[in-house]
Amino acid sequence: MTEAPPALDIRALSKSYRIGHLRGKRRQALRDVTLRVPRGAVFGCLGPNGSGKSTTLKLLLGLIFPDSGDALILGHPIGARAARQSLGYLPENPYFYDYLTPREYLDYAGRLFGLPPGARKDRARELLDLVGLTTAADVQMRRFSKGMLQRLGLAQALVNRPELVFLDEPMSGLDPLGRRSVREIILRLKAEGSTVFFSTHILPDAETLCDEVAVLRGGSVVAKGRLDQILSLDVSHMEVLVSGLPPDLSGLPEGVETFRAMGERLVLHVPEKQLGGVVVAVEQRGGRVLAVQPVRQSLEDFFVAEMGQPAPAEAWTAEA
Amino acid sequence: MRALALVAVLLAAAVPWTQARIDARLGRHRAQEEVLYLWSGDQVRRLAPGFEDVMADVYWLRTVQYFGGQRVYAANKRFDLLLPLVDITVTLDPRMQIAYRYGATFLAETYPIGAGQPEAAVKLLERGVRSLPHDWRLRQDLGLFHYYFLDDAQRASQILLEAAELPGSPPFLATLAAQVLMKGGDRETSRQVWRRIYEQDEGPMKNNAAIHLAQLDALDALDKLNEVILAYERRTGVRPAALDEIRRAGYPGPLADPVGVPFAYDRSQGRATLARSSSLWRPNLK
Amino acid sequence: MRRVAAVARNAFRESVRERVLYNLLFFAVIMTVSGLLLGELSIRQDAKIIKDLGLAAMDLFGTLIALFVGVGLVSKEIERRSLHPLLAKPVSRDEFLLGKFAGLGFTLLVNVGFMTVGLYATLLALGRGADPALLKAVFAIYLALLVTVALALLLSIVTSTVVASVSTLCLVIAGRYSDVILNLGDVVPGMPAWALRAVMVLIPNFRNFDLKDRVVYGDTVSLGDLGWITAYAAAYTGTVITLAVIAFRRRELT
Repeated sequence: MTEAPPALDIRALSKSYRIGHLRGKRRQALRDVTLRVPRGAVFGCLGPNGSGKSTTLKLLLGLIFPDSGDALILGHPIGARAARQSLGYLPENPYFYDYLTPREYLDYAGRLFGLPPGARKDRARELLDLVGLTTAADVQMRRFSKGMLQRLGLAQALVNRPELVFLDEPMSGLDPLGRRSVREIILRLKAEGSTVFFSTHILPDAETLCDEVAVLRGGSVVAKGRLDQILSLDVSHMEVLVSGLPPDLSGLPEGVETFRAMGERLVLHVPEKQLGGVVVAVEQRGGRVLAVQPVRQSLEDFFVAEMGQPAPAEAWTAEA
Repeated sequence: MRALALVAVLLAAAVPWTQARIDARLGRHRAQEEVLYLWSGDQVRRLAPGFEDVMADVYWLRTVQYFGGQRVYAANKRFDLLLPLVDITVTLDPRMQIAYRYGATFLAETYPIGAGQPEAAVKLLERGVRSLPHDWRLRQDLGLFHYYFLDDAQRASQILLEAAELPGSPPFLATLAAQVLMKGGDRETSRQVWRRIYEQDEGPMKNNAAIHLAQLDALDALDKLNEVILAYERRTGVRPAALDEIRRAGYPGPLADPVGVPFAYDRSQGRATLARSSSLWRPNLK
Repeated sequence: MRRVAAVARNAFRESVRERVLYNLLFFAVIMTVSGLLLGELSIRQDAKIIKDLGLAAMDLFGTLIALFVGVGLVSKEIERRSLHPLLAKPVSRDEFLLGKFAGLGFTLLVNVGFMTVGLYATLLALGRGADPALLKAVFAIYLALLVTVALALLLSIVTSTVVASVSTLCLVIAGRYSDVILNLGDVVPGMPAWALRAVMVLIPNFRNFDLKDRVVYGDTVSLGDLGWITAYAAAYTGTVITLAVIAFRRRELT
């Protein structure tokens, strides 16, 4: 059985920039990046600022040109119009046109996709509703906050019901409600069969949403794969979520190693052997056990550990 | 906030006040210095490629304003800038016929009606004729100016004949050319000259021609009057004491010039002349 | 084609909303004031002066708009990155560029159109008649504006907005001084003939589009003349736009 072609197939993409005007120094922004994103996946591209995440996206969209390497986007080479018909892109810190309203911008986008007038109107209404801009739909964007622009950015990325969506820092500028709504949208896109490729440096978001991730550092991929493959599981300890107990050690049963509070609830760290006893003890004291799960290394832990390693290659090279 | 508004008002008031001080010291119009700031026609032309015609219009307006302003308002009338302004105007737009004609008219007229520069006026018209060789009016003016202002009947007649051959020229030009040559210097020909201009033109040039015609009428009336005075003297042996006596003796003709100012009478010489106070008076009227 | 139209439509809308057309108010004031005051001041030159003023204003305002809006058309979008989400959609860079050019071209057409109407209205109000020959001068001015936009576009793609503004302005001014350039051979004695000709060809000869004097004085400007002027404009603009397309294709949009 042949594997379905990936939504995104990046092969050895490299890009460097010249620094300064006279001396020959170049900065290697991307070095031999190779990734495959299967269809229908939510793929996270992670890394600190300057690691090449945005550069990767711009190369894929044909905004800048690679030194070497290529990529296939939905089976088409970079820049092919056929691919762009099925793409969506939300740039980082998007800027639209001050003098247009969101509705007008979405109409413009619709025209570029060749949608007929009725479809454009309906789609615009739908998207504005989806991102929560209905009340501001006819306000000129010069008055918009960063969060509002971010929402429109997401809306315009979805005008054509894309098969593959590129999101560069989609949560940036949003309040918690906004972030949740973006999370829901991404999950919905996945449910509808679209592929989502997003870059972020906010790890909890990636942790919740992604099936696979790639971690970039200094322009190279330092780790990639499914989350459960990358993050090691420590099954020797369990996390127990309890409610109804006072937040100090006095009432806690033996065997609890550490705890932390989460509002009114407590998260107890318990070695596996003691699990049973602790559960019983909690209930005896009038508390309730809400959840038990193995302690997993968080993405943040992984990240910090990874960044502590020496850099894979010199980020700065002199002109060859 | 009030303090700031007050400051703004005080500073604003200072502007016209300081301007008044400057004017008091350096003179209100500083017309003389203006000549320094006036560029040559070619320089102005270089400044606005593609906009020469509009610039010509601007300078034309300035010329008309300047000349009118000097005539009406200026205490010591100076027409220094008339020639430079007109020169710039026609350098910018060599086809601006009206600038040549108006400029020449008021350059040629004797001071204080005009600048008293008849040679400059003729040069200007010659320039106009070079730029607009088929324009009969300019050539006609050139001829008439040679006759009237430069006393050159020969040349005037030649030019008028040239004008008569141009397309659109009126039939009387040839006749006028002949008249100018034949009678050269007489009043009737002058009358013809000014009548032509009066009939063809508008505005200040028409008014100017009207003044010349009125002067000629006045001179005619004076000639008749002086003959009558002479006859009176011969008859009575005594010169009349005043012009009223002539009137009482039955003389029907006008005792005042066409603008209504009574003629002046000098008993010691027995001659009537134009009153000095009349607007028609000129130093040497012929 | 439809995508080009979509971009053009948006570019026109931008001009309107960013108040480019407000210059028409200024023009209306000039026409009204001239119409009212000139009769007295100018000794029956009012019709000529109004025509001169109207055409000159069209030329001047139009050139300023073509230059300053033209320079921002694409470069502003690059600098502000408003271009990026659009190019991710199925519109090519070529289509985007052509659409912007067409949009500004249409804005200028509207601008010139309103001014023409205003000019004729003023002349008619003064009872001076609507001379149709003026339209030839208007048409030629419009061609000059398109050339200016093309230059502004090209220069703004290959350099920054500021450098493009200054250099386009210099080219436009130089193009009006084409008679001076003709005489460059005299001024710079060592200049070889081929260099002189090269300069003459490269610099847009805006004198070709200056029919104002001819039209106001009633000279004949035949349709043949207009035809060749249009051909020159088409050739020059076409060359510049093609270069702009090439430059834009290669431009990295960081």
